[in-house]
Amino acid sequence: MTARESILSRVAAAQRTARLPARPVAEPMAAATRSRSHCLERFGQELAALGVGCHVETTAEAVRERVRCLVEGQRVLSWDAEHLPYEAGAVLTAASRGSSPRAEQAAAEVGVTGCDGAIAETGTLALLSGRGRSRAVSLLPPVHVAIVRPEDLCFSMGEFFARHGARMSQEPSCTFVTGPSRTADIELTLTLGVHGPGRVVVVIGPEPA
Amino acid sequence: MSAVPPFVERVRSALGDERLHVALGRATEALRSRRASAFASLEDSDRVRDLARKAKLEVLADLASQLQRFEERLVANGVEVHWAETGEEANRLVLEIARRHGVKRIVKSKSMATEETHLNPALERAGMDVVETDLGEYIVQLNQDRPSHIILPIIHLTREDVGAVMHRRIQVPLSDDPRTLAGFARAKLREEFLRADMGITGANFGVVETGTICLVTNEGNGRMVTTLPRVHVAVMGIEKLVPTLEDLDLFLRLLARSATGQKITTYTTLLRGPRRPGDECGPEAMHVILLDNGRSRLLAGDDAEILGCIRCGACLNACPIYKSIGGHAYGDTYPGPVGAIVTPGLRGLHGWSELPAASTLCGACRDVCPVRLDIPRMLLGLRRETVRTEKTPLGLRLGLKAFGWIAPRPKLYRAAAAAARRLVRARAREGWVRRLPGLGGGWTQARDLRAPAATTFQEQWTHRQQTARATGSTPGASAGGAGGAGVRRQQAHKPEAASGAGLTPAERAGGPGGAAQHPPARRR
Repeated sequence: MTARESILSRVAAAQRTARLPARPVAEPMAAATRSRSHCLERFGQELAALGVGCHVETTAEAVRERVRCLVEGQRVLSWDAEHLPYEAGAVLTAASRGSSPRAEQAAAEVGVTGCDGAIAETGTLALLSGRGRSRAVSLLPPVHVAIVRPEDLCFSMGEFFARHGARMSQEPSCTFVTGPSRTADIELTLTLGVHGPGRVVVVIGPEPA
Repeated sequence: MSAVPPFVERVRSALGDERLHVALGRATEALRSRRASAFASLEDSDRVRDLARKAKLEVLADLASQLQRFEERLVANGVEVHWAETGEEANRLVLEIARRHGVKRIVKSKSMATEETHLNPALERAGMDVVETDLGEYIVQLNQDRPSHIILPIIHLTREDVGAVMHRRIQVPLSDDPRTLAGFARAKLREEFLRADMGITGANFGVVETGTICLVTNEGNGRMVTTLPRVHVAVMGIEKLVPTLEDLDLFLRLLARSATGQKITTYTTLLRGPRRPGDECGPEAMHVILLDNGRSRLLAGDDAEILGCIRCGACLNACPIYKSIGGHAYGDTYPGPVGAIVTPGLRGLHGWSELPAASTLCGACRDVCPVRLDIPRMLLGLRRETVRTEKTPLGLRLGLKAFGWIAPRPKLYRAAAAAARRLVRARAREGWVRRLPGLGGGWTQARDLRAPAATTFQEQWTHRQQTARATGSTPGASAGGAGGAGVRRQQAHKPEAASGAGLTPAERAGGPGGAAQHPPARRR
C-alpha cells in the first residue's frame, strides 16, 4: 500500500470515530460591498495608516507625470507597458522588465506595477501574475509604485474573490500586498523593508472618460 | 527526543531566567493588546469566528474526500503531489525532489510543519545548503537554537543577543539596533534568494475548491522563496484545508488579527501552480507534500478538534503558564496551550504527559482562540488519560489517597487544614513563605507562598455572625458594625497604607496591612 492509500484509509477510518463538537449555527455572510466613493475614502485612510503614500490624480497625463517624478533618476523595473493603465509605460521606456536579466532586475531601485484589484477595507493591492506582469517587480526593488484605477476598487477581500475568481483560476499566483514589508521579530521593534519593498506608493488615476 | 531534559528541568531553568520573564512579559502583553484592538475593527466578529469554526469542523468530518479533491485540483494545476506518513518520510521526499532537480542551494520560509519534521538537519546531512529566511528563524538557525513562539521565533532573545549572534556567525559589525540588524540580514539573505535553486515553504491554508496554497508573511520572504528559485516545495499538514475561497476570506480576517493584531498580513500569497510558458518568473516545478505524522491518529480520538488550529499563537500570549515558562520548556515544536494538546497528540502521551498538566485551566486560551477550540476540555481529557495509562508517582498516589480520605470528613479536614496553616505560618516572614519542606517544596521552588491568614474565612464569618447576633444587626450589614474584629482591623489600616501618608518607605513596606500587599524581592 502506498503512503497515499494508507493515509487516506486511516483518515477515512478516523473520521468515523473522531469526537468533533457540534458545528455552530451561523448564517453565511455576504461579501461586504460599499459605494465607489466610500471605497476611495476608506482606501485612502487605510493606506495612510499603513504609511503608504497616496496620490490622487484627475487626468491620465497627471498620473504619468506623477509616476515620472516618483522614478526620476532611478533604475526602474516595471510591468510591460501594455499592463500599465493610463499609458504610464510611456514615461518608463528605459525601465527593465520581467524578461530582463535577473541581476538587472535585482539592481532596480523602484518597481512600477498596475494592479488587478484594490481592497479598501484593508488598504490592500491585489496583483495577479502573468506574462508581462512579473511578480519580481513588486518584490525586488526597495520601492514599489502601484497605479490604481478607481474601477479596481473593491471594499472587501470577499468582493474581490467574487469579482475576480474566474481570472484567479487562470493564473498561477495572486499576491495581496498591504503596505511595506515589515518585521517585528527583534524585541517587537517594527522594521520596514526587511525583504520586500520598505516603501510603497499608490497613484490613483481618474475614472474612465 | 532523548536530548531534551525532563519537563521539570526545563521548567526550572525557564523560571530561573529573569531576562526571559521580562522578554515574555513585554511581548505577550503587547500582542494581547494589539489583538484586542484588531478584533474591535472586525465587523460581526462572533459570526466570523463561528463560520470559520464551522468550516474547519466540516472539513475535518469529511477530510478523506476533501484531501482527494484537493489533490485532484493540484494535479490539474500542474503541481506534483506527494504523501508522507511520517516526518522522516517527508524529509526523504524533499531530498528526493531536490536531487531530481539537481538542487544544491535551498531557501526556506518559516514553516511549522518542517520544524516538526526536523527538515533542516536532514537536508544538511545530505549535503544541501539550506537557509531560513524569516528574520527570526534565520537568527534561530545562526544561533543553533529552537524557535520558542509560533509567530515570534526569537521572543526569548534580546536585541543584544541577536547582535552578538550575527556578529559571531556572519561577521557583521556588532550592533543592538533592530533596524541595523534587520538590514544586515536583508543584505545577506538577498544573495541567498537570488542564487537558490529551490524554495521550501509550509502552507497556512490549502483551498480545496481551487487547489490553492495560501501563505501569509510580513517580511516578503515567503514571496521570494516562491518566486525566484526554479523549484518550490510546500510541506503541509493534512489538516490545513479550507473548502472555498469564501472560507479562506474568513480565516484571513481572523489569522493576522489573532497573531499580530494586524487586519491582514503585509503579504498574502495564493499559489496555484508552476509558471506557465511565457511567464517571466515563478518556479518551473511545484511540489506539495501532504504530511500525516500522527494527524490521522489525532483525528480518530477525543482531541480531533485541535486539528482546527490555525497556528496564530494567540493562546500562547493569553496563557499564564506560557508567559512564565516560555516556549522551549514545552520541549517540542508547538508550545503553549495548543502545544500541550498537539504534542501528545502527534507523538503519543507517553513522555509528554506533563504538558496537559501545565495549565491553570483558566480558559483564556479558549476565549482568544479565533476558531473557539475548547482547549481546557481537551487538556482535562488528556489528564484523565494520563491517570488511566501512565504510572503515577507513589508519593502523589498516596497523597491523593490521603486527601480523598480526609476531604469528606469535615472535622478531620478542618483539623488537618488548621495544622497545615500553623505549620506554614510558622515558616513565614513578613507575610511570605520562602521555602516549604517535602512535597510543598515544589511550590516554593520558583516563587514565594503567601502566608495564610491567622483565622480562616469560615472562622471570621462565624465570629461576625455571633457578634451580629449579640448586637442585633444582620451579618451582611455588619461591615460597619462593631463585629468582625479581624477583618475590620485590616480594613481600617488599608487607606493609610495605600496613601502612605506620613510613612517612610520602610514603614510602608513593613507596616501592618501593607506588608502582605507586595512580595519581597526574591533573593537568589
